[in-house]
Order: sequence, then structure tokens, then C-alpha cells
Amino acid sequence: MVTVDREIVGKEFLEMALERCIKCSTCKYGYKNYERSCPSGEHFLFESYWASGRIRTIRGLLLGDLEWSKDLIDPIFACTTCGACSDSCQAPHADYIVDMIEALRELAVQHVGPAKNQEMLVSRCDEHCNPYGEDNSTNEDLKKKHNLPDKAEWLYFIGCTSNYRQQSLRDATLRFFKKVGIDFTLIDEHCCTSPMIRTGQLSIVHEYMNYNIEEIKKTGASKVITSCAGCYRTLIKDFKKYGVPHDFEVYHSLELVEKLLDEEKIELNSEFNHTVTYHDPCHLGRHMGIYELPRKIYKKIPGLKLVEMKRNRNFAWCCGAGGGVKIGYPDWAIDISKERLEEAKQTGASIITSTCPFCKTNLQDASDKYNFDFQVLDLMEIIDQLEINIKE
Amino acid sequence: MTSIKERKIYEDISMEDVRARLEEIFGANNVSNKQVDLYPYSYDMTECTKQMPDFVVIPENKEQLIELVKFCNNHLIPIVPYISGNNVGGLTIPERGGIVVDFGKKMNKIIHIDDNMMYALLEPGVTFGQLEKYLDEHFPHLRYSYPFAPPYAGVVGNVILSGMNNMSCKLGSMGDSINGLEVITADGEIARIGSCFYGKDEADVKSWWSRYPMPDLMGLFINWQGMTGLVTKCAVQLWPKHEYKKIFLAVTFGLTDVASILREAGRTEVVDDISAVSVEVVKMSVEVPEPTKYPGEPDFAALLVISAKTKAQFEAKKEIVLETIDYLNENGKNIILADVDEFSRLFNLRVRCYLDLPAALLSLVEYSGLTWFGSYAPSHKLEELIEKVDKIFHKHNIPAFIYMKSMKSSHYSIFRPIMRYMKFKEGEEERYHTCLEEITDTCIDLGCIPYKTPTWMTAKLREKINPGWLNLFEKIKNCMDPNNIFNPGRWNT
Repeated sequence: MVTVDREIVGKEFLEMALERCIKCSTCKYGYKNYERSCPSGEHFLFESYWASGRIRTIRGLLLGDLEWSKDLIDPIFACTTCGACSDSCQAPHADYIVDMIEALRELAVQHVGPAKNQEMLVSRCDEHCNPYGEDNSTNEDLKKKHNLPDKAEWLYFIGCTSNYRQQSLRDATLRFFKKVGIDFTLIDEHCCTSPMIRTGQLSIVHEYMNYNIEEIKKTGASKVITSCAGCYRTLIKDFKKYGVPHDFEVYHSLELVEKLLDEEKIELNSEFNHTVTYHDPCHLGRHMGIYELPRKIYKKIPGLKLVEMKRNRNFAWCCGAGGGVKIGYPDWAIDISKERLEEAKQTGASIITSTCPFCKTNLQDASDKYNFDFQVLDLMEIIDQLEINIKE
Repeated sequence: MTSIKERKIYEDISMEDVRARLEEIFGANNVSNKQVDLYPYSYDMTECTKQMPDFVVIPENKEQLIELVKFCNNHLIPIVPYISGNNVGGLTIPERGGIVVDFGKKMNKIIHIDDNMMYALLEPGVTFGQLEKYLDEHFPHLRYSYPFAPPYAGVVGNVILSGMNNMSCKLGSMGDSINGLEVITADGEIARIGSCFYGKDEADVKSWWSRYPMPDLMGLFINWQGMTGLVTKCAVQLWPKHEYKKIFLAVTFGLTDVASILREAGRTEVVDDISAVSVEVVKMSVEVPEPTKYPGEPDFAALLVISAKTKAQFEAKKEIVLETIDYLNENGKNIILADVDEFSRLFNLRVRCYLDLPAALLSLVEYSGLTWFGSYAPSHKLEELIEKVDKIFHKHNIPAFIYMKSMKSSHYSIFRPIMRYMKFKEGEEERYHTCLEEITDTCIDLGCIPYKTPTWMTAKLREKINPGWLNLFEKIKNCMDPNNIFNPGRWNT
């Protein structure tokens, strides 16, 4: 019988690959809507690039039918782990397909390494504590600028993409928190480890998770809030999966916005007279099941006309940035976004929005490269442009 | 056995040269001989023996395939057609290696829907889900008939292998619903069969409306499992989508009472489809993982589908179904008729998955293996088949999963014992295969004819088939494919 190394974190998911999946191919496109849903399969076409093919790759490796070679790298790593396959699959293992792919990557990293350039996610973290290789920001300047305390009820976990690539989103979020008067602070963050987990490079994961928890504890915060869908997923799901429990509550910034609107503690007073379409980030949508919350907020913004793309909510076409694809396969990542922007164009919207800095980056890159002339904004950046009336 | 030239693949031509030629034909991105890319094509959900292909190619048009066939015929390289590999018979496992042609990825266009003559002209890779979506969006008044299969299964593969559908009680085998084929024969020639046969150039898309009355060459390709040529286009019949539709659920007490429903309701000629499953399968549909039947419970459940254009027609059909069930009960059967919508609301809305075909069938996708004895069966033998197969299932301690259909107003039936299993759990594959082999022997002895047959099953058939049939079969195969390049090994060729 096949045995899997007990040290493999994803051991149970690799074993699951032997027990489940007849390759019925239901994972290949949106269930009951039959739209294209898998960026990897649609691009590379061979069965090995679809979810069921990857499950077969796991089996081949465990059963000894396949030998490790560099040929395995693309079928294993050229996938955004967007979870569209999970959403379509109707079998009992549906919810664990992404876990299986991540476990396969964990195994692959041990034998043939990650895809080209993905190793930089770790080496840059080793030097700078963030996967972009930017000088680490302790966030002390931001604390001073916004006059933030050392201890507070809330901790804003900015996330690397917002802090080093999408600072307008970071600043919009900071201004909103200040405006609505929540008691919050910042820490000297290490990467949440999402990029490493997605690419099977787990060497620093436990250390970083524990570091962040300790830093958060020092602030006394019981609530952690983030404007990044990737951090949000990681803080809620992956800390638990990797055996690093914490006792703080985790919020996406939009959950706070919704709460304040629902409780009528804030009122959006000015108008945003634009036609806007919303791109569901995979990490917030399919991975965490949050589809209606952002839409509810859009509908409360005076003047804003929300138009849906053909593939929306659980059927949303991935932006192409996730799963290590942005760094490992940069041109293809942008081409995935191009397909999304073509779909957005059909709605007549002039603004495409999301609730994830990673989606924003890739959608913007594609818009620039292919001259779509879209304004790409995060919902927090739209809210930042509004006049907000604070009620007691 | 079919006499074939001794194969010397890759002796007169190297793998590198084969790859180079394939890349010339299909483009480098559409050819692979990497082990990781070949592996998913090497086995399927059944217990059929694994075999790696040498290459997989993704074609885009028939011109590429003509070049491929000529090349393979010159060098005796096997060609194995593949759409989605869902056939439950090992049909796309390359028994003799060679080149798997994956039609599912690019040759999947819906070329034409003919509203007047109600047919769809398709490339081989079109799936049921794709066709349903296209019809719903563009021709909502037309429908196709969908089998008890996942949405990604191929339409052309289903019809060319005489699959069934959810109008089988009316239509019979799906092989009968083919209007026309375009095929590439072993010499690389294109032939169009059916009413599309006029003209030297491409056929008009509006000319694919009938299979008859010329000599029926379609039989050279239907049920041959890709052994006589490559299909590049296929026209299939469509039907009006009626406004009124209802599904009855007939629950039967007494192991074999369901057989009379299949026969009697089938011959009323008002029912689109009658499919029956053992009670264990009903329990699977409400997510009981390893169901067993308890004393006092019903044995089978049958779904009877009626549809009608007008309310009056609908009411009349309903009345006929109700009267048929009353008649059976008055004559000693024990049948309860229920509304399936009520059943699905009562137990689990996911039951809807079974009803809105094409759909993922929860009971079939539970584990990593699935196998069956799928057969056309003589309707008058159903009682005997049920009794004997039920005993075999129990003997092997395997849930009795029996699926049946009434075909073409009950002229014949489908009898399909199914098994789900853990393909990679030690000893399981052998255990289930032993049971399946016993079922196969029993059913063949009772006159059943398996379809989409794996090679171990055709070997059994060959022992029973009259010599004249086998000789004719061999002669045709030799004539159509003298070098045995088309899916060699199927039917033990």
C-alpha cells in the first residue's frame, strides 16, 4: 500500500487523491452554467493541467508510475489555485481540491523545486520579511502619521501587497478607520505566508505565523482586520490548517464597513456617479464564500451603478495573479486578466473594482498592457472618495 | 483474431522523428510525450489495465487529422480517439500505445443548429453541458436528450457507441439518432455519410437531415469503438422542448415488480423515459454513503417522465400513466406512485441533480473507481436478471446498484449493474472485478449484449458469437483498417 511521508503537512490530502475522483470532468467548467472556469486547463489544454489531471499526477507519483523530473513543474505549478474546480466538482472531495494541489506542490518543492522565480518569494522574505524584496516597513512612520497607539482593540494587518504595491488601498483603508473612529494600531508585519503556502514552500511558514501572532498579542488587539483577501483567507483558514491557532477575530475591512452601515453608524453622503463592475477575488469568494457582502455595499453607494459580468460570484473567472502564477508565469497571468477585462468591457462599465490588492495589481497590469483604459479600483478606494457622515 | 502486420513502431522511425512530424502537423504546444501529460490518458475509472500512450495530440481541424492518419498508416502507429474518457469501458486506454487524439479541447465546435429539420451538426469534442447551454441560449424551444452521465461527457462519443438518454423510451438507442457522419478512413480519405453525401466539396450545413435511404454505411462506424476511422463531424437529431413536463416516482415492493413497470408503461407510448434503480441507489441520492436495503423497504424506484405540447395532451398522458399503474396493482403488483418534486423537497434538494440532466451524479462520483456491466437486455428476461444479479451482489457484499431503462416503447431494455469502489485500495479492484465478471457471465448467458465493452468482456463475447458474424467482422475490420492503426486491441483485434 502507498505510504506518504508523515512530515508532509498535506499528507491527508495526498491520500485523499487515491480515494476520490473518477475524473468525470465536472470540475472543468462552471457547474450548470458550462462557462470556461479553469485558467490553467483552458490555456495548457492537456488533461494534466486540469484538477482531475493533477489528482492523477498525485497518484502517479505516490504509486511510482511517475518519476520526479522538471517536466512536472508546469503541470503542478501553472495553476492559480482559484478554486473554480472545487466549486464545480460535486464529489465528496470537492472542498479539498485546492488543498490537494497545495500538498502536491509541497511534495514537488522537496523533489524538483518550485516554478521559475517562485523561490524568490522565500529568499526575499529571508532578507526583507516580504515577498516583494522591498525594505521592510516597520509601519512606525504610518503609526506616527496617523497618530496610532501601541495598544488597541483592533489591529490593521496591512499585508505586503497593500504595503509595497497598492499603497493607495492601504492609505484609503487607514483614512477610513480613522474617519470612523475605531481604536486600531499597526505592527511590524511579516508576510502572512499566503504566497509561500500557495507555492508549496513551507520552510518559513510556521515561524512567520508565530511571529505575527506574537506581535499582534503585544498590541492587546482582539480583532485583526485586513483589506487583503489573501491575508484574510490565510489568517482564518491557513493558520488553523498549519496548526498555528490564534484567539483573535479576523475581519475583512468590508465586513466593518457593512457593520457600520447596517447599524446606521455611518452614512454615505456624496455620490459616486460611475458604472462599476465587480470582480470577485478568489480568496474572498470561492475560498471564503463571501459574494454578497461587497455587492450590498456597492448598492448603498449613492450614484453608483453596479453591473455584473457574465461570470460572477462563484463562476467568476480568476484574475490570474494567485497561486504563485503572477511571479512564476507573469505573461500568462496578465493574459488571464485580459480575458476578465474583455468580459468587463461587455458590461459597459468604466471602472472595474475588486476587494483584493493582488487582483487590483494584475487587472491594472493587463489593462495597461492591452490598453483597456479601465480605471481599476478597490472598493475601499471608492469609499475613500465619498463624504461619510459619522453618527453617534 | 484479426491478422495484422507485425508492428515495428519506432524501429523504422524514431520517437524524435515522430514528435517532429506531429509538431509540424499540430504545432509544438499541441503535442506532448512528457510522462506527466501522458499519464492521465493511461487509465480510466474502471479496472481495465493501465497503458501509457506514446504521444497525446490536440487537433484543431480535419486537415491535421488527415495528415496524422496518413503518417500513422505509413508507420503503423496506433491512433486512439479521446473526448473526455468517461466511457466506463476503458475504450480510450491505448491498448497498444501510440497516439491519443484529444478531441475534447479544440475540436469542440457546435457547427450548426438546424431549427427547421431539428438537428445539430457537431465536432467530436462537444459535450452535453455545452450543447445544453447553447440550445438554452439560442434555441430554447429545442432540446437534446441527455444520458445518465456527467455534463462533460461527449455527445458524439455517446451516440457513436449507442448510449442511451432521457428520451430512450421514445427513441431507443442514441445510435439511431445520428443523421450523418464525416469520417477519415485509413487511407486518409474523407467520407461523408448520410444525406450530406452529395457534392465533392464541403457539404452544406443544411444537408445533414437524414441517415436514409442510401446503403447505410453508418454501421461501419457505429459501435466500432474507433476501430474503423476517425469521426470529424456528426449530425444528431434534436426534438421540440415541450412546455408541460412531469416526473413520476414509482416505488415498487417485491424484488422484480419493477420489470413490469418498464414493460407496461413503456408500451403505452406516452412516456419519454423510464429509468429504474434499486433502492440502494435511491439512498445514495440522498447521501447515504454505503446503503443497504432493510426488510420492508421497497426494492426499486422508477422515474417515469412525460412531456406534452398542450395541457390536454399532458392530462391525457398523465391519465394513461396512472391507469397503467392501477392496472399493475390490480394484477398483483405492489407499486406506489409519487410526485418526484415532493420526494426531492422532502429528502434532499440535491436529488434534483439526478433529474436535471446532464448532471454530476452524486452516487457515481463517490470514490476513485467506477465500473459496470452495461448492456442491452431482452425485456422478458428482466425478472430473472434482477434476481440473479441481486444475489451476486449480496454474495460479494457489494451494494446492489442496478440501473435499468425501457427502450423504444419497451422493444428492449437496458440492464446495468454498477459498482463504485476504491480503485487504489489494496485488493478492492480484484474483489469488484470478480463480482463484475460473475455478473457478466450470468447476464450474457441470459442474452444481454454489453455495449462500450472493455476487452476482457469482448473476449467473453467472442466465445459466444456465431462464427459467421466474427468472420464478417474481421473481414470488415481488415478492409477498413488493413494496418490496424485505429484503436488497436479493441474487440481483441
